[in-house]
Amino acid sequence: MNRVTGTETMAEGRRDVDGYDLYFGPVHPGSGNFGVKLTVEGEQVVAARADPGYLHRGFEKLMEYRTPMQNAVLSDRLCILESLNWNLVHAEAVDRLCGTEIPERARYIRVILAELSRIQSHIIWYGVLSKALGFDTGFMVAFGYRDYVLDLFEFVTGGRVYPAGYVCPGGVRRDVPEGTKKRIEVLLAKMEKMVREFEAYDSKTIAARCRGIGTLALDDALRLGATGPVLRASGLAADVRRDAPYEIYDELDFEVPTREEGDAFARSIIRRREIEESIKIVRQALDRLPAEPLPPVKPKAAGKLPEGEVYVRNEIARGEAAVYLRSVGESHPYRCKIRGPDLLHMIPVLEHLLVGAEVADVPAIYWSLNICPADMDR
Amino acid sequence: MAAMESERRRAELLERIGSRFDLEPRVAEDGTAWVSVGEQDLGECLAFAKREGFNHCSAISVTDWPEEQAFELTYHLWSYETKVLLTVKSRIDRGKATVASAIPLWGPSAGIHERELHELFGVEFAGNPDLAPLFLENWDGPPPFRKDFDWRAYVRETFYEEGNPHEQSYRD
Repeated sequence: MNRVTGTETMAEGRRDVDGYDLYFGPVHPGSGNFGVKLTVEGEQVVAARADPGYLHRGFEKLMEYRTPMQNAVLSDRLCILESLNWNLVHAEAVDRLCGTEIPERARYIRVILAELSRIQSHIIWYGVLSKALGFDTGFMVAFGYRDYVLDLFEFVTGGRVYPAGYVCPGGVRRDVPEGTKKRIEVLLAKMEKMVREFEAYDSKTIAARCRGIGTLALDDALRLGATGPVLRASGLAADVRRDAPYEIYDELDFEVPTREEGDAFARSIIRRREIEESIKIVRQALDRLPAEPLPPVKPKAAGKLPEGEVYVRNEIARGEAAVYLRSVGESHPYRCKIRGPDLLHMIPVLEHLLVGAEVADVPAIYWSLNICPADMDR
Repeated sequence: MAAMESERRRAELLERIGSRFDLEPRVAEDGTAWVSVGEQDLGECLAFAKREGFNHCSAISVTDWPEEQAFELTYHLWSYETKVLLTVKSRIDRGKATVASAIPLWGPSAGIHERELHELFGVEFAGNPDLAPLFLENWDGPPPFRKDFDWRAYVRETFYEEGNPHEQSYRD
C-alpha cells in the first residue's frame, strides 16, 4: 500500500490539518501495558512508534542479586500468559551451566506442562484477537476453555497463573499428584472440542476480518527478527523444538505447521494448528511417562553456580525465548540476559506492519502478533 | 542423521572462522559454538558470520566488568540453514564504549537490541539511527544495569522517607 499525504486524501481547503496522532494504548482495553503512537492521515496509518516501558521491572538486574531458586520464582513473571514456559527456559539455563542431570520423569513433566502452557497461551491469543475484532463469542468461548487448563495448573503446581517456580533448576519442585494423568486426558478431549469450535468460527468471522491484512513477507520477517508462529506464518518452518531439541523433544513426533501468506489470518491458522500439535505431544509424553516417583527438589541454601556461561533457547508460544547466563562462581549469576520474542514483535515488526494499514485494521494486526508487554519490558 | 550433518557443518565453519581470525573456537557440551575476538576484529568477524549463513541475530548482550574497565559484548547468532548457534564475544574499553552498529548486517532485529543496551549500559552503537530510551522515562542517572549503579541505595533514597516510622525497616 502506498503512503499518501494529507493533501491527497483531503479536499483542498476543507480542513487545514494534514493528519493527527492517535494513541493506541496504554489504556486501551486489552492492549496490555503498552502503547503505540499512530500518525494517521484520513483512514490510513502513515507512521507508527511503539511506546514500551510500562512493565519494565529490571528482571535482568534483579536476578544478579538472587540465587537460581529465587530466580526460578521470578522467571514466572517474565510473561504472565505463559509462565511455565519461562520457568523452563530459566531452569534449563541453570541446569546446563551446572551440568545437572534431570530425572527422566521430570523431563517428561516439564514438556507436558510447557505444551499445556503453550495451548493456554494460544487460547488467550484467540480470545483477545476475537475481542479485538468485536467477536465477543470467541472471547468468551476461549476464556471459558482456558479455565480448564488453569484448573490443571492449580492441581499440579498450586498456582493457576503463576506456578511459583514449579519448573525449577534440577527438575520440578515436586512430583505430580495422584490422578494427574487422568485429568490431563479429560482436558485434552476438551481442547480437541475447542479446536473444532475455533475451526468453525475461522471460516467466517476471523477470515472476514483478518485475511489479507498485516502481511509480513518472509525477507521482512527475517530482517525484523520475527520468530515463532509469526515467522512460520510467513513461510519458514523454524522451530527450536525441532531444530535444536531440548528436554525430550527429539523423541517426540510432531509437525511444524507453516503458511505462505504471512497475513493475520495465516497467523491465526498457525496458532490453531499448533494447539493440535501440542495435544499430540502431550499425549505421547503421557504414554511414555516413566513410572518411577520423583523426589521433591529442595532449594540448596549455599549452592554456588560453577563458573561459565550458557545461552539456552526454547520455543515458547510466542516464539524464541532465550537466557544468557554468566557465572563467576558465586551463588548468584553475574549476568542474566533474557531474550524474549516480543521485544522484536512489538517494536520492529509491529511498527512495520502498521504503516500503511487502515485504522480499523490496527487491532486485528496488533493482536494477530500475540504480543505480551511483560516479556518485552522485562 | 540430521544432528551429524549439523555437527559436520559446525566443525567446518569453526575451522574457517578459526583460521580467518587466528583464534580457537570453543564448542560447549550442548553443541553451541563460542568465539572471542579482539575489538578490532569484531565488525569483520560478524560480517564473516553473516556471510556464512547466520541469518538470525537472536540477541546481543553486554556484561559489565568494572574492575577490568571492560564491557563484554556477546552476539548470539543462529543459522536457519545449518542449525548452528554461534556466540561472538568481544571486550571493549569501558571508558569509551563505542562499537559499530550491526544494523547493516541484521537490520532492525539487531538495532532494537542495541537500542536497549544503549539505554541500560550506555554503550554507543555508531551508525544506529535510533537509540532513544525504551523503558525509562526522564531518567538522568547513570545507565542502570551497570555493576557500579547501586539500585538498592537508589530505591531507598528515592522512594522511602527518612522520618516515616512505617518505612523505617526499608531504610535499615
